[in-house]
Amino acid sequence: MKTETKILIGVLISCLVLVLGAVFFLGRSENGGNLGNTQTLNIDYSKGEKIGSDSAKVKLVEFSDLQCPACKAAEPIVKQVVEKNKDNSFQFIYRHFPLTQHIHSRKAANFVEYAQTQGKFWEVHDKLFETQDSWSTLSDPSDYFVNLGAQFGLDKDKIKEAISKGEFDQKINDDLAEGNRVGVDATPTFYMNGKKLNLQNFTDLKLAIAEELKK
Amino acid sequence: MSNRIIFILSLLGLIVTAFLAFEYIQTGPIVCPITGAGCELVRKSSYSKILGIDLPYFGILFYIAVATITIWLIQKSDKLVSGLRLLVSIIGFAFGVYLTFLEAFVIHAWCIWCLTSFIISGFIFLICIEEFRRKSI
Repeated sequence: MKTETKILIGVLISCLVLVLGAVFFLGRSENGGNLGNTQTLNIDYSKGEKIGSDSAKVKLVEFSDLQCPACKAAEPIVKQVVEKNKDNSFQFIYRHFPLTQHIHSRKAANFVEYAQTQGKFWEVHDKLFETQDSWSTLSDPSDYFVNLGAQFGLDKDKIKEAISKGEFDQKINDDLAEGNRVGVDATPTFYMNGKKLNLQNFTDLKLAIAEELKK
Repeated sequence: MSNRIIFILSLLGLIVTAFLAFEYIQTGPIVCPITGAGCELVRKSSYSKILGIDLPYFGILFYIAVATITIWLIQKSDKLVSGLRLLVSIIGFAFGVYLTFLEAFVIHAWCIWCLTSFIISGFIFLICIEEFRRKSI
């Protein structure tokens, strides 16, 4: 056998051992994560859309994007959590974190913020998640949003204006800035009493809240 | 010389696909990340597995096969083996074309690592053709 062949076989085998070894070794070791981070971050609880009392013992903040499929997937669990803890001990706060790859999420955020001024935030928020698949693929979802808003008795022209002018961009940008400050790197990201939650699945959210309420 | 380039390219491809396999076995939460969103979308799509096996494993097998055959050819030049390597490279590249087509027109998302592997397989394919042609003359 040529010397070069021997060297190349050696290189290939070492490469295989190193690369595949790293894949399996690292892949396993990173799986078990803590539910909550130990670091408590300062979150401005005066902002965002809230359900529950301001004096609640447990405050859950979600940074979410209305066009994000993962946020939609988290919705049923968030709903259950909110429903189950409908007393003064728990507060849920929704904050915007529109990602750039979701091209309609800012329009959706402006729309839901307009709805907020009319007292219809949660109705529109829920409907937007419910119909996400329908409007995400449109080239311009403005008309869809206008019609959707009309179902809740919202003024069509005002919805149009809010979306086209980006009337609530400042508020949305404030949420984005706060999200960036506290280290949001994906949506949805949850913070429970200022601690970032590292959820392996959304059901963990229920556990994390139940534990915090017990404390 | 060409054989050595193919060997190096297949090692590079091996590293890229191994990294992808690593990404696949991460059981992270379902999220939309700020960066690398394309990879997540591709990974979550129904096209990321064949017969229940994650696609990067096929990539790893492909590059191991190319590297092994190339070592064989460096040891002993053989037209039949060169043809076998060309066949393997065609399969690998064609698969890459299919996956890139899916990314562009079906999944509508780009995964940078998948594309890197596709480009590497493209180069391997071109050099394999050239090698095979030279052997045939």
